[in-house]
Amino acid sequence: MDKSYIRNFSIIAHIDHGKSTLADRILEITNAVTAREAKAQLLDSMDIERERGITIKLNTASLKYTYKNEEYNLNLIDTPGHVDFSYEVSRSLASCEGAILVVDATQGIEAQTLANLYLALENNLTIIPVINKIDLPNADIPKVKKELIDLIGFKDEDIVLTSAKTGVGIKELVDKIVEVIPPPNGDKNLPLQGLIFDSIFDPYRGVIISVRIMNGTLKIGDTIKMMQTNATYEVIELMINTPKEVKKEKLEAGEVGFIAASIKSISDIKVGDTITLEKNPCQKALPGYKPMKSMVFCGLFPIESSKFEDLRDALSKLQLNDASLVFEPETSTALGFGFRCGFLGLLHMDIIKERVTREFDIDLITTAPSVIYEAYLNNGDILTIDAPAKMPDKTLLKEIKEPYIKTNIFTPSEYIGPIMELCQNKRGTYVSMEYIDPTRVNIHYELPLSEIVYDFFDKLKSFTKGYASFDYELIGYRTSNLVKMDILLNGEIVDALSIIVHKDFAYQRGRSIVENLRKNIPRQLFEVPIQASIGNHVIARETIKALRKDVLAKCYGGDITRKRKLLEKQKEGKKRMKQVGSIELPQEAFMSILSMDEEK
Amino acid sequence: MEKIESVYIHIPFCNTICNYCDFCKMFYNEKIVDDYLIALEKEIKKIYNGDIIKTIYIGGGTPSSLTIKQLEKLFNIVKLFNFSNKYEYTIEVNINDITIEKLELFKENKINRISIGIETINNKFANFLNREINKKKFIEKINIAKKYFKNINIDLMYAFPNETIEDLEKDLKFIEMINVPHISIYSLIIEEHTKIYIDNINPIDDELEEKMYYKINSYLKKIGYTHYEISNFAKKGYFSKHNLTYWNNLEYYGFGLGASGYINNLRYTNTKSINNYLKGKYIYEKQLITKKISMENEMILGLRKISGINKRLFFQKYNFNIEQVFDIIDLLKNKLLIDDGKNLYIPEENLYISNCILVNFIGGSNE
Repeated sequence: MDKSYIRNFSIIAHIDHGKSTLADRILEITNAVTAREAKAQLLDSMDIERERGITIKLNTASLKYTYKNEEYNLNLIDTPGHVDFSYEVSRSLASCEGAILVVDATQGIEAQTLANLYLALENNLTIIPVINKIDLPNADIPKVKKELIDLIGFKDEDIVLTSAKTGVGIKELVDKIVEVIPPPNGDKNLPLQGLIFDSIFDPYRGVIISVRIMNGTLKIGDTIKMMQTNATYEVIELMINTPKEVKKEKLEAGEVGFIAASIKSISDIKVGDTITLEKNPCQKALPGYKPMKSMVFCGLFPIESSKFEDLRDALSKLQLNDASLVFEPETSTALGFGFRCGFLGLLHMDIIKERVTREFDIDLITTAPSVIYEAYLNNGDILTIDAPAKMPDKTLLKEIKEPYIKTNIFTPSEYIGPIMELCQNKRGTYVSMEYIDPTRVNIHYELPLSEIVYDFFDKLKSFTKGYASFDYELIGYRTSNLVKMDILLNGEIVDALSIIVHKDFAYQRGRSIVENLRKNIPRQLFEVPIQASIGNHVIARETIKALRKDVLAKCYGGDITRKRKLLEKQKEGKKRMKQVGSIELPQEAFMSILSMDEEK
Repeated sequence: MEKIESVYIHIPFCNTICNYCDFCKMFYNEKIVDDYLIALEKEIKKIYNGDIIKTIYIGGGTPSSLTIKQLEKLFNIVKLFNFSNKYEYTIEVNINDITIEKLELFKENKINRISIGIETINNKFANFLNREINKKKFIEKINIAKKYFKNINIDLMYAFPNETIEDLEKDLKFIEMINVPHISIYSLIIEEHTKIYIDNINPIDDELEEKMYYKINSYLKKIGYTHYEISNFAKKGYFSKHNLTYWNNLEYYGFGLGASGYINNLRYTNTKSINNYLKGKYIYEKQLITKKISMENEMILGLRKISGINKRLFFQKYNFNIEQVFDIIDLLKNKLLIDDGKNLYIPEENLYISNCILVNFIGGSNE
């Protein structure tokens, strides 16, 4: 195919600004699907994506579009909207020449819009600004236009107005894609250079690679080589997604498609690696991606110890198309064998947890998320601490440093007060504040990342009735007065419940944790004291009373069937709990150390 | 094939509906009762194979809500069974239905045990249950009943909302005074589909309820009763033979609307739809009891008995020792189960948390 008729583009948007619906409309107008087929949001194929309304794993659609009597091939490469996934956004963007920036006509620019826009600009993409949801009664087009012009520097005439819901402006937008976004560079006669920007594991076909061909031509039967891992495979199938799967004989420079090559070994395929031909290799690999650093860590432990290997397998499979997921084996005295996993952020963590449970059917206990601390020892050693239990004894410690971030908080100006109060309470340092327009501001604070991991999102939402949006960047490590707090159940430290807290907040946190644990741990056969301690000093204590009553009612007319059903239900509940010593702990107990009620 | 020695017959009719009751029951209606008895007779004739019967239990509902004529019909149906020389034949009776006429009719028809539902003599709680009480009348009725029957059971309840230990003691004193040989005493359980559930009634505090349970146990023991099952007490020689059939995991016939039975390794539950029942569609669901499930049931039911499960009998029945089938090491270690060499039982102090113990004998929902 003549690459001057190819356009590769992404859509970037803040959550809820209508990206998926817009993608559906584009699919419809290019006749990729009939209106009836376009149920809700075709590109979001994973259950969790649908439920959460966000796009987690990228997806690609190749669409045909006739413009001025000529047929163009538009490749829509989907990107996730949430800041946690900026690594994946950058992967998508590297395979595109242009991007559509969607802004909600009722909300204006949000923190995540900017974060993703900057990524796009870094990749030298041509941006088409779109104001969406113009059909809504509270749409304020002039105001949002002004934001786009003042804040980012677009020209009024470049901005496209759409309503993905009603279809208004979609044709104009697709025309604009053809007009404005440059066709891909590259030469189909050069040695093959293909960028792996995604991969998934298909149980029947092995690893399926999403590839953008930068140079050269790839045909069925070719032997491909991964430049990083040196693995070689013979290409069995080439496909594009229209969004139905369509088989292809070859993929050429500028095109986007999928490769199946009976790849069984997950570790051979690294997203960001370059594919070339074994016989006629290219000189050098494409730049690839800078791997994102994990920001949040937590332990994942199978409730049934025998599922440890299954969990390893599940995490390996998830890692295949999510290189940002890192994990290594971890042993906990309380929870046994599991994995310490690193995530880009809290949402990323939630999604991985859910996918392990849902797609691989492994019941998990997850420990409370933690950030990476740096422990400076008296003897000059520096340790990286990704789990509170690993914190060395305080007699060995010179100081502890923790990661800090700088925020972009976009908010209507009436919430400035509450947000500043919240940030102060979270050990924040005020930096600056910019007015986007007379009613909206962007507030910058420096905050410890651990406070964000804790309950900042929830608090921000409730303080601003959901109107504020939030994004952050890591700015480095700073010394803090931190201590390790242990939780003792029945007099024994449960390592998986330990946390690292700022000394000034320790007493308050200790109280709230033991209180939450008391509420979340069901009564046991015996009385269980819960204590929070720092070193040997107990700072808070609660008691779970012993179970008093758990007895079957009248076995009426000998009807044991009903009684068995009750016992079976009880047994199911028991299965979801982790036996820690002589105590059965539900998942809620591990997460409850994060929630704090007393400020309400 | 195991010989079946017990029969349960369900009479699902009542003159008033108690607020807590989730058993299969409906308002009394003369025509429906007549039709019901015809259907019941057909069901028995279809299934009963002539086994010698040692225990019969007519429960409800309120069997005593039937008219004399209907009761005569019912008792004639029961005559279809071949009675053993020694037998126990119980009928449940609402205390307000007790009359000399009915007592004589029971007696004439071989009934030798009556079970009287009193539940409480406290007006406050009786109102709450939608039951009528009159203490003086109760005493009169029981005294009459005692003239006809030696073997009498009284049903009591406790753990009513706002009940105190003192309230409970009054009910226990009453029990002591009327002096019958068997007592069943159950805590109020707020079951779904009952009025008190719909009214959002809260159960009383766990700890108070536990205190009440152990109060009952010690009180009744002191006045000469043996605690022989989680909720049942009897004087020597008066253990309920029929209920022991259930707790010993033995097969039994169950007839009537909503009744359950256990025949030829099959546990079944009858329909609760009176229309289906009258049409002869008796059985609603059935489950084949494999050896494994049978062993589980043996534990779940047997451990309701205070004496527990006889280990030798378990081996005779299943050709396995209990320890070979179930992992009871931790239960024994934590004294949740006691092995005295002969029997395996739940010690008194842990009876009240039996479910936690019994749940260990359930194989899982996929079996």
